[in-house]
Amino acid sequence: MMSRRGWLLTAWVALLALGVVWVQSRLTVSADLRLFMPAPRTEEQRLLVQNIGESPASRLLLLAIGNDEPAKLASISKRFAAALTPRPEFALVANGEQAPPSIPEKLLPYRYLITDSFDARPLDEARLGAELEDRAADMASPASGFLEEWLPRDPTLEILHLAGRWQPRAEPHRVDDAWFSADGRRALLLVETRAAAFDPDGQTAALAALDEEFARARGDSLASLTVSGTGYFSSVIRNRTQYEATWFGTFDSIGLILLLWLAYRRVAFTVLGALPLLTGGLAGLTAVSLIFGSVHGITIAFGFTLIGVAQDYPIHLFSHLRPDETPLTTARKVWRPLATGVASTCIAYLAFLVSGVTGLAQLACLTITGLLAAGLTSRYLLPRIVPSVTRDPAQLPWIARLNERIERLPRPAALYGVIPLAALAVFLLRPQGFWQNDLSKLTPVPPELLRIDAELRKEMATPDLRFLLVVSAPSEDAVLAALESLDRELKSSMDERDIGSFEHAAQYLPSSDLQRRRQAALPGAATLDAMVSRAAAQSPFEDGLFAPFVRDVESARQLPPLTAGDLRDTPLALRLGSELFARDGHWYGLVSLYDVHNPGGIAELAAAHPGNVTFLDLKSASEQLVAAQRARIIFCLEVAAVLLVIVIVIALRSGSRVLRVLAPMILTTLVILAVLRACDVSLSLFHLISLVLAAGLGLDYALFFEHAADDPAEQRRTLHALLVCSATTLLVFAMFSFSTVPILQAIGVTVALGVFSNFVLALLLTRERVVR
Amino acid sequence: MASSRSLEDFERQVRRAPPVSTAFVEYRFSHLLKKPLQTSGTLEYRADGVLARNVDTPYRETTEVTGDQVRIQRAGKPARTLALQRAPQLRVLLGSFRALLEGHFAPLADDFDVTLAEAAPHWTLTLKPRDASLAKHLARIDVFGSADRPGCLEAVEPDGDGAITLLGGPAPGATPAAGGKLPTRAELERACRTGPAAITQ
Repeated sequence: MMSRRGWLLTAWVALLALGVVWVQSRLTVSADLRLFMPAPRTEEQRLLVQNIGESPASRLLLLAIGNDEPAKLASISKRFAAALTPRPEFALVANGEQAPPSIPEKLLPYRYLITDSFDARPLDEARLGAELEDRAADMASPASGFLEEWLPRDPTLEILHLAGRWQPRAEPHRVDDAWFSADGRRALLLVETRAAAFDPDGQTAALAALDEEFARARGDSLASLTVSGTGYFSSVIRNRTQYEATWFGTFDSIGLILLLWLAYRRVAFTVLGALPLLTGGLAGLTAVSLIFGSVHGITIAFGFTLIGVAQDYPIHLFSHLRPDETPLTTARKVWRPLATGVASTCIAYLAFLVSGVTGLAQLACLTITGLLAAGLTSRYLLPRIVPSVTRDPAQLPWIARLNERIERLPRPAALYGVIPLAALAVFLLRPQGFWQNDLSKLTPVPPELLRIDAELRKEMATPDLRFLLVVSAPSEDAVLAALESLDRELKSSMDERDIGSFEHAAQYLPSSDLQRRRQAALPGAATLDAMVSRAAAQSPFEDGLFAPFVRDVESARQLPPLTAGDLRDTPLALRLGSELFARDGHWYGLVSLYDVHNPGGIAELAAAHPGNVTFLDLKSASEQLVAAQRARIIFCLEVAAVLLVIVIVIALRSGSRVLRVLAPMILTTLVILAVLRACDVSLSLFHLISLVLAAGLGLDYALFFEHAADDPAEQRRTLHALLVCSATTLLVFAMFSFSTVPILQAIGVTVALGVFSNFVLALLLTRERVVR
Repeated sequence: MASSRSLEDFERQVRRAPPVSTAFVEYRFSHLLKKPLQTSGTLEYRADGVLARNVDTPYRETTEVTGDQVRIQRAGKPARTLALQRAPQLRVLLGSFRALLEGHFAPLADDFDVTLAEAAPHWTLTLKPRDASLAKHLARIDVFGSADRPGCLEAVEPDGDGAITLLGGPAPGATPAAGGKLPTRAELERACRTGPAAITQ
């Protein structure tokens, strides 16, 4: 016959097991790095975030092959590109061998609607005569053999003219027709994956395909492949987070079990101590999964860290258990400071729930639910299961000795003044770079990968990544027309050396209005035929040679204007897609700028077209985005701080007690800020989260020391509990400070520092001296 | 077809250091044309590595190849520049001009099957493109020379079109016609194979 305790335990464990199964089947883990970026509020910011995650450019992977002689690298690059091209994972593979985009054969007559050749000077007899004279000279040049094929159809060389206009403005260097870095040591390739940038499964598959084909293309060379790009990052971060979470998790679990066993010498305590934490974790995941649908990998790794605080809850209970008291009575006594701690920590996390950053909101939801679940089970469930004890931690000789020594320590009230003054001095001495405004640093991408990425992008001679003009209009055609109307001003910006050059969608696809105007300006079949006959008669060319030309011009006159739809499945569609797109029913056209010398000039140009032309400075837009976001989060934290103080005041009802409880937490926050500043670390949102976590711990420590008041036995039990608590927490966060994921590392360092400072300050400032 | 000595050995006979310059008269035959096109001017390979083709008649035109860039300047027209990396076949062709002027053929072996036939003091160098896309436009180039200098180039296209370039000044029977009658292709081919030529340095 099982005891009531046994039944409860079985039911709890069974519920947890069911929870694990449910969460596993439900949970979708997302890798969208933007979840941790601030939510966009302005038009500019929306374009910025979209640019980061959804544009075709974000699906590009940059590849570099190095570690062999240039000629060998070039031939590996060629074999590699040839092998990748047919793979279903990639929409585009380029290594320099490929021709620039050209008009597909079936759309060739459209060249007379796309070309600007006849805008200034129409296609009349004088023009045609001059063109044929030029072609005769071309025929006498070494290039004649290559022109012959096209001359009858294209005597004005429009195909060449358009190919010339569509050439990339700048291109990487070349060795044997393959792209190379400027130093000639790395062959460069560009691939566009079919999978979206933030689809880590798709990206991982694409990366596996790259590795597979590279191993084959490399042969017996020792050449190595470097990959970069948003998709690569999302895959790397997911795998790295998973790997580190597993590894740290295992290490931390073993450490926790050892610590708990050392502290209580009872296997039952070690096992039971894990139940509230597990319950909290499952409850948190369930809540996030129900509310948000999917959870970011970082939220999980990170959230479990924050919930880790709940490991303290059973410890408080265990350390206060006495042989002369039922566990339920102990739980009731401990509940007061514990509940105050849980409530105030949850209030602090509420600030993140309304921060506007999805990743942070998920985190807050997971943590609050988790802490509440762990706190409530520690109060109402755990004491009903925990076996009664035979020894009281207050009677442990080592605790008594330690307590004795702590008693003799001075209580330096001067700390109330020294710490703020020292922190102030640090802030004054190092005023620069207090806040991290660089959006790229807010993604969990390691800086080394970002450096490689910047290097490769520079080598690839991509357009200016910082400045962009964005034209918006209600329809695709209206955007194209707006882009055309900007051409004159953009050309004068080039003349004034504000920019080197520019590129936009209307250069590939003119607006239907412009196409119709060009159609109307083309001569009719009979007129053109007569014109061509007369011009040919005066040239060295055979009579009747240009009949295919007359046919093409005539069909150009009859065609309905070319649309983006006609270009689908052509090489042009790829380029067009990144420069012309719809979002939420509105159309956007991007003007890429090259060699921006005077951004102010371009900003003025945009300002002259309020409403439909936006000058996008991605750097300042992202900085503003981050700054605005931070202002909001800090405001939320301030509100949370006020609420927290109210909770403490209600719980303690005495001015001096409130001060003693809040002091370690406030002073520790100053200590952490000063240390980070002294080490020249700029604060990001992740540091703010860690500060809140550290503050929550500090509050817990202080509440318990304060609760023990001047009762010596109670003080020894509290000391025992808090030693175990801070040791377990330190263990976890010291591990995180070794993480290669920058935000996990930031949290690890900040919290580990906070635990130490909080514990020491709570001992010195909060604990009362025993009156002897 | 006498000796079959190596190209390196032959190079020692014809190699010259830039600057090298020679007059040329070129006749271009094409099925697109009513009659052959005739141009004349100078071909230069300068000490700074620039290859230049200057046309003097019937119009003025300068084509300069510097590294990977081709710059074409026609009288009264804005200059056009073309990146040779975008036109690999043209690059191969222009590379063969440079090799001929310099008498340095080894680099040509990458792009052409090179064969040498000699009947001292005359020799014929035949270049057949290896690359299929170039072979579509060019069947072969025959270079006819004597002693240490090339005298004539004949380019033959797969469709029978082609060009004959006489180097070192007008050959007998090939006087640049100012309104006069053009020589026939057969006459030019004969002149190409036998005509003496001079290269001025």
